[in-house]
Amino acid sequence: MNYLFNPENWEWIVTGNNVRFILQGFAVNLEIAIISMVLSLIAGLALALARLARWTPLSVAAGTWVDVWRNLPLIFIILYLALSIPSSWRDAWEDVIPSWFPEGLQSGRVVAAILGLVLYNSAVLAEIMRAGIQSLDRGQNEAARGLGMSYRQSMRLVVLPQGLRRMVPATVSQLITLNKDTTLVSIVAIQEVMRHGRIVTSANFFGGVQAPVLQVFLFVGLLFIIVNLALSRLSRRLEIRERKRTAVGEVKGVRGLEEQAAAGIG
Amino acid sequence: MKTTRWALLLVLVLGLFAAACGDDEEEPAGGSGAEPAADVEEFPAETTMGRIQEAGEIKIGVKYDVPPFGFKNPQTDDIEGFDVDLGQAIADKLGVEPNFVEAISDNRIPFLADGTVDLVLSTMTINAERDQEIDFSEPYYIAQGRILVPQDSDIAGIDDLAGNRVCTALGSTYEATLKEQAPDADLRLVDSYSECLELVQNGAVDAVSTDDVILTGMIIQDDTLKLTEGEPLTTEPYGAGIKDGDTEFQEFVNGVIEEYKSGGGWAEAYEKWVGQYTGEQQEPPTMTLEEAIEVTS
Amino acid sequence: MGDYISVLTDNLDEFLAGFWVTVRLVAFSFVIAMVVGTLVAALRIAPSKWLQRIGGVYVETFRNIPLLVLLFISFAGLRRAGVGIGPWTAGIVSLGLYTAAYVAESLRSGVFSVSKGQIEAALSLGYTYRQTLRRVVFPQAFRTVISPLGSLIIAMIKNSAIIGVSLLALPDLLKAARLVQSRTFETNEAFLWAAAGYLVLTGLATLTIRVLEKRYAIHR
Repeated sequence: MNYLFNPENWEWIVTGNNVRFILQGFAVNLEIAIISMVLSLIAGLALALARLARWTPLSVAAGTWVDVWRNLPLIFIILYLALSIPSSWRDAWEDVIPSWFPEGLQSGRVVAAILGLVLYNSAVLAEIMRAGIQSLDRGQNEAARGLGMSYRQSMRLVVLPQGLRRMVPATVSQLITLNKDTTLVSIVAIQEVMRHGRIVTSANFFGGVQAPVLQVFLFVGLLFIIVNLALSRLSRRLEIRERKRTAVGEVKGVRGLEEQAAAGIG
Repeated sequence: MKTTRWALLLVLVLGLFAAACGDDEEEPAGGSGAEPAADVEEFPAETTMGRIQEAGEIKIGVKYDVPPFGFKNPQTDDIEGFDVDLGQAIADKLGVEPNFVEAISDNRIPFLADGTVDLVLSTMTINAERDQEIDFSEPYYIAQGRILVPQDSDIAGIDDLAGNRVCTALGSTYEATLKEQAPDADLRLVDSYSECLELVQNGAVDAVSTDDVILTGMIIQDDTLKLTEGEPLTTEPYGAGIKDGDTEFQEFVNGVIEEYKSGGGWAEAYEKWVGQYTGEQQEPPTMTLEEAIEVTS
Repeated sequence: MGDYISVLTDNLDEFLAGFWVTVRLVAFSFVIAMVVGTLVAALRIAPSKWLQRIGGVYVETFRNIPLLVLLFISFAGLRRAGVGIGPWTAGIVSLGLYTAAYVAESLRSGVFSVSKGQIEAALSLGYTYRQTLRRVVFPQAFRTVISPLGSLIIAMIKNSAIIGVSLLALPDLLKAARLVQSRTFETNEAFLWAAAGYLVLTGLATLTIRVLEKRYAIHR
């Protein structure tokens, strides 16, 4: 206990560059999370629509794809990609990336990390979206068709907007999970917060002060807790707003989405 | 209201982007900051040297986490070390700036093959297998495989490893060496040596085995650790990695290394990065590339 | 094709050993998650505001912190502080405590789904608060949460890979794949078999949950 609260063990926070160094790493995690989230949303929507397609082979193929990627450990996917991505892809990334992007994202290894995150998350999101769309009362679709809309129009104008809006809170929950998952990219030597934290703990070699592992990583944990807590508050606000908005109609299974996303903690 | 919240989140994110970017803009090239010589030889454009001179920079793969040979100083963001200094010397000879790129063990050879780097200086041991995929310079440093233990350990040599927990990196040459020379040791494999250091410091393993260079880096960070006496497990001649078949560049690099050794640069770097911590002396290596390949097979 | 088979047969020991390590990690973590999760859920629904808050802090902490950070704290951090915790313990406790937060939340919503009418009826029949919880509320709550629990188990199977890969250096299924790969350089083959192993585990978990759901679950 003494060790935990001993002020000497916390001195590293106020000396040298340590906190800034850790925050720089943390920024890389957040950036990777955002980029992956955007790409996953696009891919996830495509997969969800494929899953709901009326042409069975497509629906089955999409379903299998989603089931496989959802059930593999994310770290497994990332490590596999890191070992097998052809270097031409890595080169392409390094050519394309503008130099004002932060240094942690410059290396071609980020391709494996982001690709892994997207493959995994798009599958998870596809399931969330599918549940959101299917939770919509069938009456909506039928009413739309009854009004003369084609399947596509009904999807585009009635079903999707409502179904997707429903899953915004669940998606924000998934963003929280994604945030946490970005720490895994440290395993493929991307310079993010875990790596920076480790370097800070060996800071006394570089003329800094002793920064014990326990304290440094409690700090890192705190960073994540703060950001993720803010996101989850946001998610709850959105969910409450959703309920108020659709209080008139049936809100079937929205809770299930939150839980599903929350349960998708891996 | 909803829009404001999203906007706020976006601003927060962009702010972090900016904060991280702003500090990275001035990325120093690293190295000991030696001035490029005024009388730099110009090389023909079709050679690698000429191409590098065209580009104005040489991309060198180094380690970022192996003091004292290649590491990133978190206080200054500089890349420093013995390998880095040698890289600077090579860059100086070409009259260009060195651009140090992180090359971990897994990807340093692919990086050479696909041109991500022009040269690899990352504590890379010369051996016959690697020689098939890339070319090596003459050895520029002879490291040895040793064992690191806490000061108060009973382990005195390889034979004592039996039954003890020994850490080394997954996929490294030591994984195979230890299985061969210490088959009864309890091998713990991790991703990087900084993890091994952590494990031996907190007592989760009893010993670490790898190049003495890397072990020295650990001792520098924690002087309650020591190297065991006794026969080295292996001899590890380090060579600079060059793209397969580029004999001109290989000759050039060899020339620079020769000069470095005979002109005092090597001795200076050795003292600065190794000698002052281990208290040991060493002469610049005289081993040839052929001998190096012999020794490691 | 022959390559794939030979990679499996030549390295079967390695793969199987890794497989069982993964199974053990998940099994022990599950026990901890259920026990601690139930306790925390009880805290969350306790009549005392303070107890609720403590439970709340637990849930918010462990739901928002990455597992990898938790592993560093519980293994490296504690050991440096002088606590002689071993890699297995650190791994199982971390994964268990981490998952417990989610178990607690699931149970809590399960509890809320039990209609107030039942609780009032039980109390008016003379049951104490504790008896009501034990005999009326929790049994139903547990039955509601069978399917979210299924997702949690699958999540644990996936998260176990993080334990192996971190500095805890436990020889699980993913590690087996990497070892085989570094020895044979047959990346696709090695990882395919490990992937098969993980899919077998998650498949079994899914099937078991479905069977349990059919027999016991209450859907609300």
